[in-house]
Amino acid sequence: MKIRTLLLGVAALLSASVAEAQQRRITGRVVAEEGNTPLSGAAVTVVGTTTGTYTSEDGRFAINAPGAGSVNLRVRRIGYQQKLVPVSSVMTDVAVSLTRDVLQLEAQVVTGTATVVSSANAANAVSVVNAEQLTRVAAPTVDNALQGKVAGAVISQNSGAPGGGTQVQLRGVSTILGSYSPLYVVDGVIVNNATINGGLNVISGAGGGNFSGSQDQSVNRIADLNPNDIENIQILKGPSASSIYGSKGTNGVIIITTKRGAAGTNSIDFTQRVGRSTLANKLGSRCFGSAAEYSQWAVDNLGVDAAGAADAAKEYTDAKVKCHDYEEEYYNNSGVAYETIASLRGGTQGGSSTYFVSGLAHHDNGLAPNDFYNKQSLRVNVGQQLGSRLSLNANSEILHTLTQRGISGNDNNGITPGDIFSSTPSFYDLRRASDGSFPYNPSAILGNGSNPFQNAELIKTPNNTYRFISSVTSNLSVYNSERQTIDATLTGGVDTYQSKDRIISPATTYVEAATFGALAGTLFNSDGEILNANLNGSLVHRLVASMFTAQTSAGFRQERRESNITQLTGRGVIFPSVTNVAAASQTFPNASIGLTRDFAVYAQEEFFALNERLLLTAGVNSEKSSNNGDQQQYFTYPKFSASYRLPRLPSFASEFKLRAAVGKAGNQPTAGRTTFLQNLLYEGNTGTRASTVVGSPAIRPELATETEGGFDATMLNSRVRLSATFYKKKITDLLLQAPIVPSTGFQVKYLNGGQITNRGTELELDVTAYQRGTTSWISSTTFSKQTGFVDFLPEGVAPFNPGVGSFGRYGNAWIQAGQSTTIIQASQSCSGPLSASGSCPKASRVLGLVGDANPDFNMGFNNQINIGHLRLTGLLEWRKGGDVVNLTNNYFDGFDLAKDTAVSRLRYANYLAFNGAPYVENAGFVKLRELTVGYELPSVLTRNAFGGRAQNVRLELSGRNLKTWTKYSGLDPEVSNFGNQPLGRFQDVTPYPPSRSFFLSLSSSF
Amino acid sequence: MRKYTIALTAGLALAAGCIDNTIVTPENAPTVDALKGDLTDAGVKTLAYGVLAQDRAAATTFGYYLLPEIYARNAYRIDSNEPRFVTETLGGNADPGSFAAGGAAFTSPFVAIRAATALLVALPKAVPSQVSDAQRNTTAGLIQTIKALDYYRVVETRDTLGVPIQALDELAPAAPLSCKATVLTYIAGQLDSANTSLIAAGSGKLGFTAPTGFSAYGRDYNKASNLILLNRGLRGKVELYRGLQRPAPTAGAFANAITFLTQALGGAAPGAVSPATFQTGAYVTYLPGGTENAPNPLVDSKVGVNPKAFAALQAGDTRASKIIKRSTLAGSGLSTTYTYFGASPSNSANQLIPRAILRDEELVLLRAQAYFENNQFAQGTLDLNSVRNTYGLAEIAVPATLAAARDAVLYEKRYSLFFEGPQRLVDLRAYGLLKAGVTPAELPGDPFNTAEPIPKGEADARNGNVTVQCP
Repeated sequence: MKIRTLLLGVAALLSASVAEAQQRRITGRVVAEEGNTPLSGAAVTVVGTTTGTYTSEDGRFAINAPGAGSVNLRVRRIGYQQKLVPVSSVMTDVAVSLTRDVLQLEAQVVTGTATVVSSANAANAVSVVNAEQLTRVAAPTVDNALQGKVAGAVISQNSGAPGGGTQVQLRGVSTILGSYSPLYVVDGVIVNNATINGGLNVISGAGGGNFSGSQDQSVNRIADLNPNDIENIQILKGPSASSIYGSKGTNGVIIITTKRGAAGTNSIDFTQRVGRSTLANKLGSRCFGSAAEYSQWAVDNLGVDAAGAADAAKEYTDAKVKCHDYEEEYYNNSGVAYETIASLRGGTQGGSSTYFVSGLAHHDNGLAPNDFYNKQSLRVNVGQQLGSRLSLNANSEILHTLTQRGISGNDNNGITPGDIFSSTPSFYDLRRASDGSFPYNPSAILGNGSNPFQNAELIKTPNNTYRFISSVTSNLSVYNSERQTIDATLTGGVDTYQSKDRIISPATTYVEAATFGALAGTLFNSDGEILNANLNGSLVHRLVASMFTAQTSAGFRQERRESNITQLTGRGVIFPSVTNVAAASQTFPNASIGLTRDFAVYAQEEFFALNERLLLTAGVNSEKSSNNGDQQQYFTYPKFSASYRLPRLPSFASEFKLRAAVGKAGNQPTAGRTTFLQNLLYEGNTGTRASTVVGSPAIRPELATETEGGFDATMLNSRVRLSATFYKKKITDLLLQAPIVPSTGFQVKYLNGGQITNRGTELELDVTAYQRGTTSWISSTTFSKQTGFVDFLPEGVAPFNPGVGSFGRYGNAWIQAGQSTTIIQASQSCSGPLSASGSCPKASRVLGLVGDANPDFNMGFNNQINIGHLRLTGLLEWRKGGDVVNLTNNYFDGFDLAKDTAVSRLRYANYLAFNGAPYVENAGFVKLRELTVGYELPSVLTRNAFGGRAQNVRLELSGRNLKTWTKYSGLDPEVSNFGNQPLGRFQDVTPYPPSRSFFLSLSSSF
Repeated sequence: MRKYTIALTAGLALAAGCIDNTIVTPENAPTVDALKGDLTDAGVKTLAYGVLAQDRAAATTFGYYLLPEIYARNAYRIDSNEPRFVTETLGGNADPGSFAAGGAAFTSPFVAIRAATALLVALPKAVPSQVSDAQRNTTAGLIQTIKALDYYRVVETRDTLGVPIQALDELAPAAPLSCKATVLTYIAGQLDSANTSLIAAGSGKLGFTAPTGFSAYGRDYNKASNLILLNRGLRGKVELYRGLQRPAPTAGAFANAITFLTQALGGAAPGAVSPATFQTGAYVTYLPGGTENAPNPLVDSKVGVNPKAFAALQAGDTRASKIIKRSTLAGSGLSTTYTYFGASPSNSANQLIPRAILRDEELVLLRAQAYFENNQFAQGTLDLNSVRNTYGLAEIAVPATLAAARDAVLYEKRYSLFFEGPQRLVDLRAYGLLKAGVTPAELPGDPFNTAEPIPKGEADARNGNVTVQCP
């Protein structure tokens, strides 16, 4: 009976396609309010029907409206506020002027794999960052370009090394051991954001051994993307919006849409930037004031006797320069940075064929000698209408990056500049001699002669990556009537890249010879091959009735992810010119293979009613993955949302929308499906034993449930927009490793359990503070505050250090029920008397929770002022609070070589005595992220100069990260020695120093 | 319209053709499922090598090969980047969570013990047509001896802090920490059980060839008859320290130790062991590079010899060749210009130097020690002088007191077994010599560590309960 009723209902809906009645033709022209220029590509639809068309290049349109009575036309165009135009029964031609949507009140935001909705109706707080906001100032990577612009996103770079290395965290810590990166989707393709460790460890010994490690200061590969190709970025911050991405949606989704061609216009855009980067901050070193002071230092720190003290005094006396500024001498790469961007955009009249072709050549210098970041890209996006119902879009990009990030971060071999500077009395001259040689560093602390100038000259650390991202989308209008449409969309895409890392460290460096002896001369080769392939299919049925509009979508998604990483370390390469690892005396191979297959089906219903004021959405995504213990089990992620635009508002208000959404998303287990056997070789014979890590066949995705609510208000004739969002995200079934008592022969076992709850507030205030003629001031402010707590841990899991990179004595991540997820634990106090040497006896040491890496709040202040042809923009980011463990200070303190000896000695004494946590510091900051001053040449001038061929010629001076205000004593409060990881990002260990960048740019359209 | 129908159909067909299932078999490594079923001869070999390789790993941990030598005043490790090698060894107590606490020297032997247990449990399922009874018994004897050895390794580094006796069932809850006497008794039982298997093997041998450290150094331990010598040697060593444990030494332990050690030395009378066999024994061998990458861990530019160890050498002692000059190694208040001859990275051959599990010279010295403790000074002196003669030193007279005898044997053991393991640490603490006023402090606040702490990971997983249970 129920089935019959359902069938009848469907039949009734389909029969809503009423027989075509009398029609009339309405023509019109759409122009921009500002300047009265025609707008091409504007969508014109008859309200209450599916009938629609687009304006031509001269802004004109013609449309058939049903019936002879009055109708309403809805006119939409990207970048403009939509307009509802009443057309009476006697009107046949209408004039429409659209107002620029400077506050992005009506951006189209994603609600499903093949569906979008105007942000005016959206039930989620989806942030949209457009092209202009992204590329105002040259940014090495997309994630750099997003910093400070998105409420709810904490975007932090790992160090100042060229080429990126940035982590995006949306709405707090959502996992402890699982995948922590948001999902990146480019034109429908889920792209890879892996970090392939580059092998620095083989020479720095940061983690020991002969293989790459998590302290390699490597780049997450979303850095490859060319920010200049991006039309807009939409950020689904949590499961209530990202539920459509199922078991990959917990950490949020960043949807990137690249630029497309445009009907009828053919234009060339060209931008040339030149600039340079300079050292933004330095630590300094202790300057010895006299020979006596230095000889006393030698006695205290080197344990030299009287003769040694005399030798030390002589060394000081003989030095020509008594105090070198090592950082100023070393981080002084004065090369020119440049960026060339060119694009060709156009299409046929009517838009049946469109194209967008772009190219990029980008070069940044690192601060250290010979460090750099080069990126080139070539993109071709084409669209083709095949008949009236079938369209194809193909987007492809080839990217190449070549990066040399130098040597930085944690180090156990005395090779990084920070380590050397902290261990070398500052009167030693390390600079290259006039004869071209590099002095042996006499520092007895290092004892290896390590000279950073020699290392920079002789040691190469290139990463070379070729990447190809491509997608093809076909859209077929299966059925189209006045009231109903059915569209079928099929998208296939691939993201593949080959990333090659090399470490070439010749035996001729002092540090190689001293560290590796007979095996001096190190080579490291890493070849990483990554492939992501997606196939999405969907059907969207749209029903337009007089009382409501219903949009039903359903489809599937298939994904395949492969990784194949082969690494080989060679030691004992005698001849410096040889870079073939096969020439090494000893080699150390390492390889990993990964294959994941996912399959998902989904369905969604969106229901507009009350004259499109009410939007109700319900959806479900069901997904299985080879990463789960049961590879055939489907896990289901539903979502529900509602938004309502209030109809009656006070006169000052333009719109007021209430919204609420709840949704679930997952996070696939990255490990733990089984217990492996571990091979151990003994004289080449294979031995095996069970791994000490015990897997679980029941392992399943982490489950995040998010409830989000808020309001969006526009006021004062749409000149003010205020958006407020409150959310609660509960993550259960956390992927955890329960420690097993090690004396059982096992270490840990995988399980799901425990719960984290994140709560937060996000505010966005956009104000057109002033607008008159060609003068305007637009201000955007974002505020976000979030807290995350571990509610409980499963039975058998005691509070634990989550095992991410950390240095326990100084401060490590700590997971404990009732505590913040980002808490920092360290040895904090001494419960008994100190020993004679001033240290705290073992039995008296007390561990404590000494800090929290989570900032109190983040704010972004984005302002744009236009005065005639002059444009001034600025972006400030304020991150209040959040702690960092500054081990770099410990490097200096241990040998009494810090610039401020009084502070250093007190800090070190406290460290030895376990008195507080002297290396945990507040790392709050205010950063001037972006600043631009631009001038658009008057059209008269450009006409005369370029014969009318050039338009919008603009000169701009811009800067990135120009100034940081902070009480943090390290180089940069944005730092992570272990790179990207879910927790424990707060380690500062002799990082690559931050830079400030300046660019002068000239851009023009032709 | 027909074209669009074809397009839709083609699209659906294309999509259907691209969809594959989500079953993926792990490709990086085999899983434990591969071990189910009967054991072939190849399976026995692979599992046995797993045990031996893990035992080598246990012997290669910092907490085993070097930290006891630092505690015992033979070695320094001075690293400007990591002061904890000094501040948490000779300058202060080790943080149980720090690497300087030698945590891996606790956990790694237990992984070997688990692997050994797994093989011992599986051995009865060995396919008779591929693994004979004699081969099975020889394998069981070897593996159970190694299992006992790994328990003893933990006792060496942890002393009285407690050692859990692992359950046979891998899913069983962790056993409580047992006291030293209980563990030594358990080890003795394991060795005796292994000896029974080896005796049952008769003239049999392993069904596979053990690593060269079990055959290339004067004795072929692939044979059950020679494995008995290794087994009895370890048994004698354990028995000696059962006799030295305080406050409740095992009665008759020294006499038993003499019996076992004499058996291990092939019945040789006191002083009658030929110096030519001093190096004879079972060894752990190293192979740097490649996937195996197991170099001798002592090859380390940050390792130095404690100058007091060099200064204490008697004139003419040819074992001085084990200590060589090096560039000054200084930091954290310590300084040395000496290092162990095998520690120099400038000679890559050092990475291949094997380390003895137990060799005849140590057996002679252990027997001398047991004779002294058993009040048989003359016999002890004969064994001791056989060593002194070998290294160019004059013979000593029979000591007048036990204290003098201990001093004499400690000297010989120090330099004969220099940088070979925790033997000196075990002796110094057994005789209560690691304390202020007896041994000079290396640094202000020298804690005179006598044992590495129970690692923080072990304590945490036990919810802090590391109480030692003694029956």
